[in-house]
Amino acid sequence: MAAVPQEKSLSVLQRRWRKFRTLKRGWYSLVAILVMYALSLLAPLYITNKAWVVKYNGEYTFPALSGFHAATEFGQRTIGEADYRKLKQEFQEADAGNWVLLAPYPYHPNESLMRSLEGRPPHSPSRAHWLGTDNRGRDVLARLVYGFRISLTFAIGVVLLSYTLGIAVGAVLGFFGGKVDILGQRLVEIWSGLPFLYTVIIVSSLLLPSMWTLTAILAAFGWMGIAMYMRGEFYREKSKDYVAAAIAQGDSSRAIMFQQIFPNALTPLISFAPFAVVGAISSLVALDFLGFGLRPPTPSWGEMVNQGLSNIFKWHLVVFPLSALFITLMMVVFIGEAIREAFDPKVFSRLR
Amino acid sequence: MAQEGNQRKGEPLLTVKGLKVHFPVYGGILRHKVGTVKAVDGVSFRLNRGETLGVVGESGSGKTTVGRAIINLHKPMYPDVELGGEILFHTESGQVDTNGITRDEMLPLRERIQMIFQDPFSSLNPRLTVQAIIEGPMKVHMNLTAAQRKDRVLDLLDRVGLQRSYAQRYPHEFSGGQRQRVGIARALATNPDLIIADEPVSALDVSIQAQVINLMMELQREFGLTYLFIAHDLSVVYHICDRIAVMYLGNLVEIGTADQVYKSPRHPYSKALLSAVPQPDPRSSNKGRIRLEGDIPTPMAKPSGCGFRTRCPIAKPSCAQDVPELRDVGNGQMVACPFV
Ligand SMILES: Nc1ncnc2c1ncn2[C@@H]1O[C@H](COP(=O)(O)OP(=O)(O)OP(=O)(O)O)[C@@H](O)[C@H]1O
Ligand code: SF4
Ligand SMILES: [Mg+2]
Repeated sequence: MAAVPQEKSLSVLQRRWRKFRTLKRGWYSLVAILVMYALSLLAPLYITNKAWVVKYNGEYTFPALSGFHAATEFGQRTIGEADYRKLKQEFQEADAGNWVLLAPYPYHPNESLMRSLEGRPPHSPSRAHWLGTDNRGRDVLARLVYGFRISLTFAIGVVLLSYTLGIAVGAVLGFFGGKVDILGQRLVEIWSGLPFLYTVIIVSSLLLPSMWTLTAILAAFGWMGIAMYMRGEFYREKSKDYVAAAIAQGDSSRAIMFQQIFPNALTPLISFAPFAVVGAISSLVALDFLGFGLRPPTPSWGEMVNQGLSNIFKWHLVVFPLSALFITLMMVVFIGEAIREAFDPKVFSRLR
Repeated sequence: MAQEGNQRKGEPLLTVKGLKVHFPVYGGILRHKVGTVKAVDGVSFRLNRGETLGVVGESGSGKTTVGRAIINLHKPMYPDVELGGEILFHTESGQVDTNGITRDEMLPLRERIQMIFQDPFSSLNPRLTVQAIIEGPMKVHMNLTAAQRKDRVLDLLDRVGLQRSYAQRYPHEFSGGQRQRVGIARALATNPDLIIADEPVSALDVSIQAQVINLMMELQREFGLTYLFIAHDLSVVYHICDRIAVMYLGNLVEIGTADQVYKSPRHPYSKALLSAVPQPDPRSSNKGRIRLEGDIPTPMAKPSGCGFRTRCPIAKPSCAQDVPELRDVGNGQMVACPFV
């Protein structure tokens, strides 16, 4: 038989992915968020008070990569880590062939710059500190970038964890049905009735939460919706003949749940994910804002928004964190909107 | 395998004795049992190698439920189901009663029994390629490498009259008839002995129906297959079946050779069902036409005695007492009515 050149067949997801890419607003938002996240993950390389290169007495050191170097290594007479910005000045003044190449934005998000800056913090934006400093003299841009990294990592962690829990529980309830389902549903309802904020506040006051305990707490309160969605999907799909065919061919329950049904239950999961991310970012901001979130001095957006509120007349403390938050959430919502559109069986598109 | 199947033609393959499939119905806030759907209520028949047994009856008479019971689908899908009777599968090493055995015990037999489903749209997983769908049973039962499976899938596609290039396509790219061919290829994947075909053509256009039925008959000759062929009406079944069983409300009311049941039905229900078949000869059409009054009762509240008595034109008072047994009315034609 002669091979007829054929257009490649696309799976349902592949077709939806193509459709998604034609929805420019969502697609560009996704690209932008991913690029920003990648850049923020690399921030310790270029937003840092550690120098890129130090040449001292004929030897080269790369502190941004190699980490801690005591001040005494470079002839400074202070205790603790070297202060590279000062070192650069000192080397220039001494003019002895030693030099320092600082990072492009040479400040650390937790570093107080009060001693090197004139006046009392918060300082307004300047050439050195593009977005100014906060009430403890820490660079706002550096904190925003590190805060973005934390927010998104946290949100992704919460979504992954709550999805895992929700999918597992929902799949079991929907697939096995019967008494398991009835009992399970009641337990999920009871669990949903627990007051989220109280629990977080109690746990925070007992534990002084780390990022990971916070992730776990938020996921523990965020999986029920997904579980009920999954339960519905599994329940509906289970009665279709392809599942009967899978049983008839001898597939195990696990193979049926995860190889046969699960790919058919992805739609609500994927279309809900961006909104779950929005929820997780907002929750973290809210908790930080209330002071029950990440422990200080972690650069967190909630804490920065809080500073804006208590320094309402320092415009840069109000405008920058709020716009960063607003723009990020908006882009994630755009992604969500486009995904929903791409998964919509209707052909005509509103967003283009 | 094919030759073996043809050689042993006529030996018993499956004996069903007193099969019962009852679905409990739950209701109320406490979800307690409020009733039972007696979908199948004492069905017995025998199926020989290489033959085709047709099962006909109105919608809701329990045909699908019988087919699914034979392939042991009810327990995994509805754990609460109440099963009764025996489904004896004849193997080289004796008989196995598969009714209600565990999934693990059933697994080796699944290689030999396959099913073609009524709805070609929901019976193929929309997320899998044709290749993945057809090789599903091979993965479980046959010890083949990926390349061997691929070859076998291509062979099967040839067999069922589909292009080999379709292997990498998804179900949504096909018409109903093509999908049903994919379903047939999947059913053939492990070289089964018995194929349960649950109204395999009812969902298809009339022009396609004949093609699919002819394909199934060809495959039967080639592979020595045994069919349990479920259908709505007698005319499709007469064409393909050796014997025909007529079901009504969870019971068999008549069973015999295709000619016996089609040409000289004895049970009042079979007569009514048959008179509803359009006749090719217009003069004979309305002559003995029997119209059934009313609807089929629900299997949740079956009439006592003969299930058919609420609609039977010759019902007697005694029909409310005992459930009539199938009895031989000559030449092996069995009828569940003492008054014919
Ligand atoms: N899982 C179930 N739970 C409760 N009742 C069921 C279940 N499956 C089937 N039934 C009932 O059992 C009866 C027989 O159903 P079945 O599907 O076997 O009929 P059928 O003869 O195949 O009809 P059709 O020609 O419409 O396919 C029907 O009344 C149906 O409602
Ligand atoms: S047993 Fe009675 S009701 Fe049933 S078919 Fe015969 S005559 Fe009719
Ligand atoms: Mg049916």
